[in-house]
Amino acid sequence: MRIKVNGRTVEIFAGARVKDVLRKYSAEEWARVRRKEKTVTDARGHEVGLEGELSGGEELLTRARGPEEPRP
Amino acid sequence: MTGLADSRPGRVLLGLALLGLFAVPACAGLFSRPAETRVVIFHSNDVHGKIDNFAKVAPILEAERKTGADVFFFSAGDNFTGDPVIDWADPPGGPMFDLLDRLGLDVLSLGNHEFDYQLGPVRKLAARFPTVSANIDPEPGVLPELKPHVVLKTKQGARLVVFGLIQVEPENRVPSTHPDKVKGLRFSDPLSKVPELKKLRAAGDVLIGLTHIGHEQDLRLAEAMPEIDVIIGGHSHTRVDPAVMAGGVLVAMAGADNRFLGRVDLRLENGRVVEKKGRLIDLTQPLEEDPAVKAMIATYYQNPALARVIARAPVEVAGKDALGSLMTDAIRQTLGLDVAFQNNGGIRLDRLPEEITLRDIYTLDPFGNQVVQFVMTAAEIRSLVKSSWDKRKDIDLQVSGLSYLVRADGQGRVLDVKLSNPDGSPLAEDRTFKVGVSSYIAVSYQFDHRDPGRSLQTTPAEALIRFLESGPDLTVYRDVKRAFKEITGPSPRG
Repeated sequence: MRIKVNGRTVEIFAGARVKDVLRKYSAEEWARVRRKEKTVTDARGHEVGLEGELSGGEELLTRARGPEEPRP
Repeated sequence: MTGLADSRPGRVLLGLALLGLFAVPACAGLFSRPAETRVVIFHSNDVHGKIDNFAKVAPILEAERKTGADVFFFSAGDNFTGDPVIDWADPPGGPMFDLLDRLGLDVLSLGNHEFDYQLGPVRKLAARFPTVSANIDPEPGVLPELKPHVVLKTKQGARLVVFGLIQVEPENRVPSTHPDKVKGLRFSDPLSKVPELKKLRAAGDVLIGLTHIGHEQDLRLAEAMPEIDVIIGGHSHTRVDPAVMAGGVLVAMAGADNRFLGRVDLRLENGRVVEKKGRLIDLTQPLEEDPAVKAMIATYYQNPALARVIARAPVEVAGKDALGSLMTDAIRQTLGLDVAFQNNGGIRLDRLPEEITLRDIYTLDPFGNQVVQFVMTAAEIRSLVKSSWDKRKDIDLQVSGLSYLVRADGQGRVLDVKLSNPDGSPLAEDRTFKVGVSSYIAVSYQFDHRDPGRSLQTTPAEALIRFLESGPDLTVYRDVKRAFKEITGPSPRG
């Protein structure tokens, strides 16, 4: 299936989760998310969990996390 | 918890709706509905066995019930899978059943991971709680407790029609769980049910979709079905705070892992929703805890199942070669694959004890990654082995179903990779193999594969537990070695 991350298409296995797509998109970006410097949202800006399940055609964005933002 | 009515819309109600009487405001008082009703729906989704914060949920529900509002508690699916304390309880998921019961769960929509324990526990769940899913069509006798929808009644008689929908993989038309676990159930695309679901509008005062299809699909459902008042969703672990309006439909989801409790407030006047809003309560913050629920949770964490001995090793199973061979044999044999790989970094114990417990397995493989299957040629397998070597200039992958030899020069550059069958003969170049790797390998290693792959919805730990419980001969792992290297020429450091 294909998932867009920050505008770039990532081709990944069916049944992949948010963390899988992020890892494949960029090891550096994944590390920032793991360190909680960045958070992952859907195309509408809603934060999504790293174990969140995806369907082909969905879109993810990464953005800097606010200091007191809770995790989804 | 308030009243549960028959899930099938009454003939009289449906008949009146077909005559269009519900559309006439003058008839709004036909069923003596109260002038104003306040309904509060608390909701959770994708708890995945994370039970700790239920101690904080209980006082929130209790406090709201004391206000006199009609209070309901909904689950939008995936309560199971994610914590061995719950997953390996006896019965599987038992603590979750008891906690949801204690909290007064009113209705549950099945998620794909509800099926991870097979159908038996789903039947128990559906027998204990009103359980809905409109796009599951069970064969006769398979899951008779499941309803497409239920009707809940407020104290003053307002009717909440709650239907369920579950996510379905377009490739194989089953939810994201192992297909063997949903035998006897037929699934249809959630949005294909819209024409049928529209008829439910006439069956009550409030129409609610309690879904497990992901937030994107929830928004599509709202677009296709403006008759819905509220969609409370799950599956994509999306933190929707506040709940959003999609057309006239309020769409909510409460993240995942019990970090948030969703709250939807509805105000009804003369049987119509005149005000609706939703927000999340952050359960990670310090909040009052119910001591009785907290005590229940503490008991569950003493789960004796984790200390249960599932196998005895007559020889020492130690080191990456032995442990990796055992793990990959488990993946290959339990999932019916030709070949399986496990990276050394994913082997988190040096040795297994003589008496192997569930806790040991989750220490050996604590990551919760999925097994992903690729259909690969020998050349593609070779590219995976080469990629693994290039990461560390050394053996990195343990294997089952074949053995391999990496020949590299003194600088660590791969000269060639030789693949052999277990009997030593060369691996066939003119066929494909079903290869299982962890999702970590699937996305972190650069290798050729024309098949995009698919998750088998099983973790390596689950495969290993099943394998060990089948009583394999563990003596074969004493001196096992399947991954070899041969360095030709001097290294840069001499």
